Amino acid sequence: MKKILLFISILGILYSCEDVIDVDLNESESRLVIDASMNLWDDGNFQTTVKLTTTAPFFDEEIPFVNDAFVEIIDENGLILPFVYAENGIYVSTIQPQSGVNYTLKIRYQEEIYTATEQLETVAPLEFVEQKNDGGFTGEDIELKAFFTDPANIENFYFFEGLSVRGASFDALKDEFFDGNQIFGFYFVENIETGDEVIFNLYGIDEQFYNYMFTLLQQSQGDGPFETQPATVRGNIINETNLNNYPLGYFRISEVSTISYTVE
Amino acid sequence: MAFLFLGSIVSFSQEKFTLSGTISENGTGETLIGVNVIIPQLNTGVVTNQYGFYSITLPKGEYEILYSSIGFITEKAVISLSGNIEKSISLNLETESLGEVLIKSDVETLNIRDPQMSTNSLSAATIKKIPVVFGEADVIKSLTLLPGVSSAGEGASGFNVRGGAVDQNLVLLDEATLYNSSHLFGFFSVFNPDAIKDLTLYKGGIPARYGGRVASVLDIYQKDGNLKKFSANGGIGLVASRLLLEGPIKKDTASFLLGGRSSYAHLFLPLFDNDNVAYFYDLNTKISYNLNKNNRFYLSGYFGRDVIGISDSFENNFGNTTLNLRWNHLFSEKLFSNLSIIYSDYYYGLDLKFIGFQFDTGISNLNLKYDFSHFISEKVELRYGLNSIYYKFMAGEISPTSGTSGINAFKLTDKYAFENAIYVETELKLTEKLTVQAGLRFSTFNRMGQDALNIYTNDNPILFNETLQIYQKATPIDTISFSRNKTIKSFANLEPRFSAAYRLNNTSSLKASYNRMAQYIHIISNTTSPTPFDIYAPSGKYIEPQLADQVAIGYFKKFENYSMEVESYYKIVKNRLDYVDDADLIANNAIEQILLTGKARAYGLEFLFKKTTGKLQGWIAYTVSKSEQQTPGRNASEPGINNGDWYDTAWDKTHNIAITAQYELTDKWSFGANLIYQTGRPSTFPSGQYEYNNIVIPVYESRNSSRLADFHHLDLSATWIPKPNSEKRWKGEWVFSVYNAYNRRNAASISFSENTDIGRNEAVRFSIFGIIPAITYNFKF
Repeated sequence: MKKILLFISILGILYSCEDVIDVDLNESESRLVIDASMNLWDDGNFQTTVKLTTTAPFFDEEIPFVNDAFVEIIDENGLILPFVYAENGIYVSTIQPQSGVNYTLKIRYQEEIYTATEQLETVAPLEFVEQKNDGGFTGEDIELKAFFTDPANIENFYFFEGLSVRGASFDALKDEFFDGNQIFGFYFVENIETGDEVIFNLYGIDEQFYNYMFTLLQQSQGDGPFETQPATVRGNIINETNLNNYPLGYFRISEVSTISYTVE
Repeated sequence: MAFLFLGSIVSFSQEKFTLSGTISENGTGETLIGVNVIIPQLNTGVVTNQYGFYSITLPKGEYEILYSSIGFITEKAVISLSGNIEKSISLNLETESLGEVLIKSDVETLNIRDPQMSTNSLSAATIKKIPVVFGEADVIKSLTLLPGVSSAGEGASGFNVRGGAVDQNLVLLDEATLYNSSHLFGFFSVFNPDAIKDLTLYKGGIPARYGGRVASVLDIYQKDGNLKKFSANGGIGLVASRLLLEGPIKKDTASFLLGGRSSYAHLFLPLFDNDNVAYFYDLNTKISYNLNKNNRFYLSGYFGRDVIGISDSFENNFGNTTLNLRWNHLFSEKLFSNLSIIYSDYYYGLDLKFIGFQFDTGISNLNLKYDFSHFISEKVELRYGLNSIYYKFMAGEISPTSGTSGINAFKLTDKYAFENAIYVETELKLTEKLTVQAGLRFSTFNRMGQDALNIYTNDNPILFNETLQIYQKATPIDTISFSRNKTIKSFANLEPRFSAAYRLNNTSSLKASYNRMAQYIHIISNTTSPTPFDIYAPSGKYIEPQLADQVAIGYFKKFENYSMEVESYYKIVKNRLDYVDDADLIANNAIEQILLTGKARAYGLEFLFKKTTGKLQGWIAYTVSKSEQQTPGRNASEPGINNGDWYDTAWDKTHNIAITAQYELTDKWSFGANLIYQTGRPSTFPSGQYEYNNIVIPVYESRNSSRLADFHHLDLSATWIPKPNSEKRWKGEWVFSVYNAYNRRNAASISFSENTDIGRNEAVRFSIFGIIPAITYNFKF
């Protein structure tokens, strides 16, 4: 639905113009940012990564990595699965997430303990991709739709991404208005051409992550005149040592369906 | 004792008679609002009401009566009052003669005495002289040049009065409520200036006859239609054209008015060469019928729509509809009444063709009003009446628009309510120097039965998660359906209103006022600028009515050719809704799960210096003000919104200066100019950034703690009448205008995001209007 707002903003194109300006910004204190995910692909492959960075001044070009943290995941049976540091703030481990099992992420950084507990969320498979060559505002752009069928009579939430060298499209979806139907994730980036390969991923998520991602995506697009009042979004990870020094980011465990498509 | 009492009655009960009538404009028969009827001998007078009617009761005797109104030649009449007299007269427009205005000071003296303060009236003629963007005369843009009135910015719908929100304004067109006052996101307002007779904006000391909104009342009356002869006027401009026809159906008895206005399709999206459209149109219609001198009927209607579509992916249309029937009846020469039956609705529809998704929403109401004006004596006027409104809130309906659409039909729960009020207000001339206006309004709001009302544990629809420090939606434990006839929640409020004027001398006065206002319906919106898809929701189990208390004081001074007004106000609003961070409001069937209740306050100082006569006319308006909002946590462990601290509203503008001037050089040429300067509006900027899933996300500072750059522009216009003395019926004029003459790039917003092409974060200023020259041809015949 946020696309409505985006479309409305088009009106702004009228007599308006956009230009890049210099703005002096206030600076907030640095926080730990945790991008932690356990993904289980539909072909049985799995991948668990935890990326640790910190917040940075808005106009900085580099995001500082955290390479001196201690990361582990503990399952509900008390089994401890350690992580090793790879590079660029990324810590890796090999865990195959099981359905119905609680996994607790535990990070020790600068003498403070951060934790979050999640379960695997399943997903419906991506089925096919449809290409339309007369889309967009000009009617001449290529639009791709990746279809899937939502399971009926249960609440489902999805995180959708389409990735190619031309750019990425992301969307957070809930089945409130399409429960039980065939529906699609929408991929639209400028300058896409015949022969380009696009990878689509559909992640099973819960309502809390849906709310989180929905807001995040809105904020990443900048706040136009019709955007909601922006505020820093809190994820699901708690600083157990010092509640006020809360981290940003999220710990998510998803089943993922993936499909690759070559633009015709 | 009894003797003394009797004696005093006798001395007061010297024979009295009533002089009454209707004042109209000569040539058109259009009734005139606010004409001063002055009796210099007694140093007293009255003013005609919204229907041009006046009534004054005086001791038997011979009097000279002056009928005067700005822009009209004052008429004199000598009356021998030895019985009730009906004296209806017509006034001639000043411009149609070459003579100077006869008496002006008396007019202003009366205003000095009137306890009504904090109002601004504009005539259609003034509005048409003010230069505006695209050369289209505009009611709301003209209002924002007055002290205490502003808008959130270019491209924002509606207007803000004394720090109030857009939904806190009651906008009445011929007594019918309009829910959206803007076309094309605030680029135009919905009122066709040709169809308007008179408008008054009440910013404070709001009389008891008005209610339902806490910040202001904008009361607009349309013309009745020419009773004497057929006439037309219109204009052709670069973005829109308009035509207004009026004339007698039966001379001096019945008249019609038909006005239409439309912008040109496609105009707004010139960059694209296919099926994109963005346009608006509106229609004003009215039929007036004078059955006899005691009974008049008016049937009027308004229909406006905006249509915005982007190729075949998206279409959006919205607008107001009103229809109303009014009956003016004189029970006696002292008792005037008006009965209105009004239907009003606002519709918003969205068709997302690329998804196959249609969304319709809106609000409609049926309103019955019965108002009485009782002119008891020359010292006492009593007004009383009742008002009953039945609302239907159509929260929204989602439907699939194609067979292949993946969307399920879904209807959000409709809501119903009754708003009733009775009021009485009186104006008393207590002494030669002190006049007071006191009123009391008793309003009630009954939320009527609906389907599927959510019930929550402890009646608490919104929970606070202490570990994550975020607000979360509660899950309803049950839903209950009620019969439409059953009241599920009711509210009642007493709303006292009081104002007083103390005349210091013949040219200056002090005024003070207090008003309490209750507002039972609320716009649900958390966008930084108001938008047309902001929908009203009623008070009920989970939403309390807003209550405002406002006090204002003022000093008013009239000079030979100038007037000066200084006012100060303080206002506090209880139960102002606020939204938890990142609430998603669109098609939300459980709005209570994301709402918190707080309060708002506003205070300020307003100056208005006005020159109302001569070749050079205009005003300087300056406002220094503050508008804030606070939403504390509901208990000690909750932070509320913005940590429970007061924060600036999105329309808080510390300084607001508007200078507007018109200069009549010759019969052929006249010029106009506006200079506007405002403090930039508050905004929330990033205070950092981070990456999640390879997406750059801003970290935000607390709400509205930064500001956009100051907003200012200069607008110029020139009007050329090629043949001012032409005897021909057809009269034409050309208006050349330049909006934002020095091409200031005022930011409507600043967007902070990553430029993915270069992989760097940027602040992008979005400005709407650069320099815009325009030309309009206006005509009448």
